[in-house]
Amino acid sequence: MAKTKAALEDSADLGGERVRVHPLTRIQGRADIEIQFSPDQRVNQARFRALEFRGFEEMATGIAAFRAPSLLSRICGSCGPFHQLASCIAIENATGTIVPKTALWFRELLSFLWLGLSHILNCTYMALPDFALPTSDAAVRNVIGIYAIEQEMIQNLTAVQSAFADSLALLAGLPIHPSVVVPGGVSYLPDWTTCSKVGETLAGCEHNLRETLRLVELLTKRSAQMTETETRLQGYYLASTKRESPAMIGDTVSYAEFDEGEPTDMDHGEFYGSIEERPVPWSYLVPVTVSQMELLMVGPLARVNLGFDTETPWAELECTRIHEQWGHPLDMEFLFLMSMTLEMIWAYENACLLLEQRPRHGEACAEPEVVESDGIAVIDGPRGTLVHKVWLDSSGAISRYQVISPLQFSCQLLNQHLTSLARILVTGLEISDDVAQLLQLSVRAFTPCVQCGTH
Amino acid sequence: MYVATVGLSSCGGCHNALFTIGEPLIALLCDHNIAFSTYMVDHRSISPADVVLIEGGIRNREELEVAGEIARNARKVIAVGSCAVFGGVNGLRKLEVVPVVDEGGDLPPLLEEMKPLDSCMSVELYVPGCPPPPNLILEALKSVLDGYSPAHFDGSVCSECPRRAERKSIRSWSQHPGPGVPHEMCLLNKGLLCLGPVTRGGCHSPCPTRGAVCIGCRGPSDVVQSSQLHSMFGDMVKYVSLTTRAKEDKVGMQLMCMLRSIYLFTGSDPVTRAKVGEKTGG
Repeated sequence: MAKTKAALEDSADLGGERVRVHPLTRIQGRADIEIQFSPDQRVNQARFRALEFRGFEEMATGIAAFRAPSLLSRICGSCGPFHQLASCIAIENATGTIVPKTALWFRELLSFLWLGLSHILNCTYMALPDFALPTSDAAVRNVIGIYAIEQEMIQNLTAVQSAFADSLALLAGLPIHPSVVVPGGVSYLPDWTTCSKVGETLAGCEHNLRETLRLVELLTKRSAQMTETETRLQGYYLASTKRESPAMIGDTVSYAEFDEGEPTDMDHGEFYGSIEERPVPWSYLVPVTVSQMELLMVGPLARVNLGFDTETPWAELECTRIHEQWGHPLDMEFLFLMSMTLEMIWAYENACLLLEQRPRHGEACAEPEVVESDGIAVIDGPRGTLVHKVWLDSSGAISRYQVISPLQFSCQLLNQHLTSLARILVTGLEISDDVAQLLQLSVRAFTPCVQCGTH
Repeated sequence: MYVATVGLSSCGGCHNALFTIGEPLIALLCDHNIAFSTYMVDHRSISPADVVLIEGGIRNREELEVAGEIARNARKVIAVGSCAVFGGVNGLRKLEVVPVVDEGGDLPPLLEEMKPLDSCMSVELYVPGCPPPPNLILEALKSVLDGYSPAHFDGSVCSECPRRAERKSIRSWSQHPGPGVPHEMCLLNKGLLCLGPVTRGGCHSPCPTRGAVCIGCRGPSDVVQSSQLHSMFGDMVKYVSLTTRAKEDKVGMQLMCMLRSIYLFTGSDPVTRAKVGEKTGG
């Protein structure tokens, strides 16, 4: 990671009016969109601003290393388990701890269930209203409004949600902020009976998942027909990978250009070394660049563009079909709901596969020996690539901590995209509800998590 | 009735816990009206509401203003989660001095310390937890909507834990949250700092049941909370002293270095703070 911090270059402030879309709704956290105008009332630039900060990196300093993952999981209520996992991996890498294979199996199983739950909650409560009731009044453009009109649609989604949440409750005790992932491994290993119950619970939602895919495909097609502005995503997409396919817990990261699409791999050390922080004075979010890639997208669209492998044939088939239909790479913002749905299938298939592969014997945890050292972890959470770096002192406490979250990677592309869109849609200082909605939709396409972003 | 939900300084986990309720929640909200909820609805302004579920504490000026506006517009407020009830993990800033970031500019300036919700409004119901069990959030909402008192659980996490404690001496304590302890053995007997004895139950002990220590996310149990003579630290010392037959002074010395772990979620709570000050002489 570059030690020098270069300030991000904004478009010059032309001294015109500023208008806020505030607060942004149906996103995780508190944020706004600020639109800056030129003196002749043309849009100069639009930017997404994170309005909250809690200071987890400072809070973690001085805390016992073994307790840090529990604290750091509280960065985010959606991606929390992934912060916990990343924190454990960073500590294990710092201490040279070898995690038992059985624990690695359980962690991978949990990570796919968390991915599925996070996506279905995001789809149901935050993303779906833009697709199901795009032109309705704000009073009904929400999950409750959809339920009142189309009960079955929501029942399908909540059935999938219950399957993921119930599976996590069986395996980890809690769907949100579970404690089972610990430094060195996991706190316990589930028995055959529990795994069988989870398998049955998941199998029960396959039909609902198929129906959800069918519904999302229909809504995406309709959304494409209704989209008046064709602003395509530019720059690069990047995700954690293993054997050249997306992986929540991978060993490399892969990236490719939206224009060309041939992926390049980087190992974790090289990746971390190429990250540069570029703080801005107008947001609590600190943007980062990777190897001079200023415009970068991480998250569901990035992973789907890298493609799924043959181990998950249903996800691979649907992914190929969607790429045949919409082209490769997927670079239109309204395809984010589809990408999350494809990932739910991927998560479902992987979880089912891992349940069948449950190891017969093995240890739950190796106890790390804390020495003065440092370590990094690079994984993918639901909203994209996540980096944790830990520095430990000889007493077993955290001497410094660093978190780089998905929104930090994606925010510059998000701002560039917002500006392009605002220049087309915004025609004066009065921002109508329809235009505000379209701007917010483009923000939601980046699945922003402000709490993760500013931590 | 008009229902609203708000997220202040928090991780959003309580809203996610609320959403995992699924169709029963959506059906309930369908029978009423949503006044505002930035997580679900596109209304940008705060309007009058009969019940407001608030997640998170108050960390910056904007949140302070939002809280003030809610206090003027809400008939009843439910504080959901340990950030709203106690101040949550941000309370770590109280126990040891952590530099406060002041970005200035036109961003909401940060307050010097995290404030729990009832520092600036009256709260009808408290649902602690990080996050609280979804069924308890739903029960709290239903009780306020239908006008009845929800069931109160006054036991500790230990009272719901299937593990069994023995009288056994412990040489040293570990902060490790749970390295594969046999399923029938109490985690404290293994020398792991489990806060089950002093933490409010009602969660069905999901963490200790699966071999991970209780980290005290639901705050102090009734016994600890209701008396100035009790504190999470003091009661842990007494409990450990009783089960290990070690002198309280010695146990107190051993656990003192784990103070931040014991008050991870409650450091911003004024009552807790007074007790911590007393114990640490600070």
